[in-house]
Amino acid sequence: MQDLLNVASLGSIYLLFALGMALVWGTIGILNFAHGATFMFSAFVGHLVTSETELPFLAVVLVAVLVGAAIAALTQLLAFQPILKRSKNQHAAEMRILIGGIGVAAIPLAIAQHQTRSSPFGFRSSYEAEVLEIFGLRLSTTSAVVIVAGLAIGIGLTVWVRRSRRGLALRAIGVDAETAAGMGVNRTLLAFGTMATAGALAGLAGALLTFQLGAIAPETGDQLLIKAFAIIVLGGLGSMAGTVIGAYVLAGAETLVLNLNYGTWVDAVSFGLIFLILLARPQGLLGRKEVRRT
Amino acid sequence: MGGAARKRRTLLAGLAVSAVLATVACGGGAAGDSGGGGIEKTIKIAQVQDQTGPIAYAGLGASEGAELAIEEIEKQGFLGDGVKIELQKLDTAGEIERASSEMNKAMGDRDVDAIIGPAATQQAATVAPLVGRQKVPTVFTQAGGEGVVINDYTFRVTPPMESYYEQVLEYLKDKGAKTISVLYNATFPTFSLLGEKGVPKMAKERGIDIVQSLPVQMTTQDFAGQSQQIAKKNPDALVMLLIAPQSVTALRQLKEAGYDNQIVATSVQAAGNIEAAGANANGLVYPVPFSTAMDGESSQAFTKAFRAKFDKDPDPYAADGYDAMWFIARAIKASGDSSREGIRKGLAQVAKEGFTGAMGGLTFEGNDARVDGALVQWQDGKETLAQ
Repeated sequence: MQDLLNVASLGSIYLLFALGMALVWGTIGILNFAHGATFMFSAFVGHLVTSETELPFLAVVLVAVLVGAAIAALTQLLAFQPILKRSKNQHAAEMRILIGGIGVAAIPLAIAQHQTRSSPFGFRSSYEAEVLEIFGLRLSTTSAVVIVAGLAIGIGLTVWVRRSRRGLALRAIGVDAETAAGMGVNRTLLAFGTMATAGALAGLAGALLTFQLGAIAPETGDQLLIKAFAIIVLGGLGSMAGTVIGAYVLAGAETLVLNLNYGTWVDAVSFGLIFLILLARPQGLLGRKEVRRT
Repeated sequence: MGGAARKRRTLLAGLAVSAVLATVACGGGAAGDSGGGGIEKTIKIAQVQDQTGPIAYAGLGASEGAELAIEEIEKQGFLGDGVKIELQKLDTAGEIERASSEMNKAMGDRDVDAIIGPAATQQAATVAPLVGRQKVPTVFTQAGGEGVVINDYTFRVTPPMESYYEQVLEYLKDKGAKTISVLYNATFPTFSLLGEKGVPKMAKERGIDIVQSLPVQMTTQDFAGQSQQIAKKNPDALVMLLIAPQSVTALRQLKEAGYDNQIVATSVQAAGNIEAAGANANGLVYPVPFSTAMDGESSQAFTKAFRAKFDKDPDPYAADGYDAMWFIARAIKASGDSSREGIRKGLAQVAKEGFTGAMGGLTFEGNDARVDGALVQWQDGKETLAQ
């Protein structure tokens, strides 16, 4: 049972990080490699603010969410949108956005590394995590918040993308941007809003993870980026529900390997498992099969 | 026709001779580097270390220490009146390829007399064979893994962690520990070596049982599972060999899992790297080659001078850079020759004799430094000597 709680906690960490990335990649087709840097820098600003004045839990989270949204919105406005405008076709735009994202990510990373000398940083907050012990199971209050937030936002976002009009418009852009625009969908505005939402989610993940782990390093976002990439592909690109499941599958595989005391095989076994699943279902667990017309 | 052929042959022979001369001039061990050249008015030392990237703290700290040493060397006229040392910083940015190319750049610069080499083992082990071939004396700081001190031109001023880790196990024995668990980052060469060979051997020699050995990866960020496994076994002490951010998380999650026994760590937790763990780090004990808590005369003098220059406390990386630069200066003085070959000979001579620096008394096993180090305890944001 304790292992299941650990899977839920670790899976929710991965999910919170991956959700924003999955949202923009699966809908407006932007594979944002600056997502890790947005996540990290939101927490870093929270760290700077709390170095000056001690803040309660929710205030730190709010700071990180706002910073994340602002960074992602600026990234869209100053980097991705100009790239999209100047690219002749979708394929060229995707490649340039990918490289652009890497370039954008380098800036906050360099700033945080310079300021912290790559030492870990956390928050000075009035919030103190407590450990709940129920039927012999131990769970910290922060882990409980992370699990609830991960599941609630994951399910909420899945329902919103499926059921709401805006969600439908977003999915329409993901399927065929030009046709969607022809049917009155304001792609530019929607893309801007989606990026800001994804940034806010990155900020939320940054704050919650820093509370959960005690501290993060400037490079933490990069490590999570690879895992999020695998989770989205495993779940099926474009499927938010797939991302939710993918996060817990990866966490489950990692926890299993750790419990068998093969700590150095965690990545090899987990990513090997994903590879095997993708051999059987190339479209991912819940992804739709791609149809190519000739 | 015959005349033209002769001309071509003469031209080709000329080109071949030029190429050989150019190779000798650019390649390793030029004639001018054979020593006996006296001490130049300006000595150029290249510091090829991380100034940015994930282990920038090691390179930046070493830079500050080296700058302080240069100031003292010049002020004292240690190498003669008016002799200046120019420190050229080349950033390896945490990348092995970059370390290799920056080292090549430094070695190719004929004005560079010696190099302070990369602080990461992977980088250092990559460039160590190159400095042997190019015959450029190189003093490494940190880089505690194998494959670094491998030829006459490679020296290491930071002792490998396992050489001063014995005192940790001795401390645990004195505290009555009979059982320990080891939680280690198996993808970090120094910790892998220590976790798989060093600590088991040291523990066995002291009659301490290792009840659990848990390897993790560089990418491991959550330690909830391992913490619960450790709390379940409840060993008398935990040997934690993790990088800085990992240790902050592990300390928090160990407490959350209910593990309250002694935890011992490594010098990676020094330099304030554990500060973010807050109260969870209280009582943590770790060995360091240098700490401001060290009460030796030379260590205190270094701490005082560093505070005066930089208005902050020095960390072990600054002590590395300081001792590395003084090691080179002593070598130049010992050989009376600031050429590459002269410095190499001097370094070998000083290594035989040992010297006293920021880290206390440095002795050498071959070209590899050894120090007694100190065992410190972290309490409320400060290091004190562990009792």
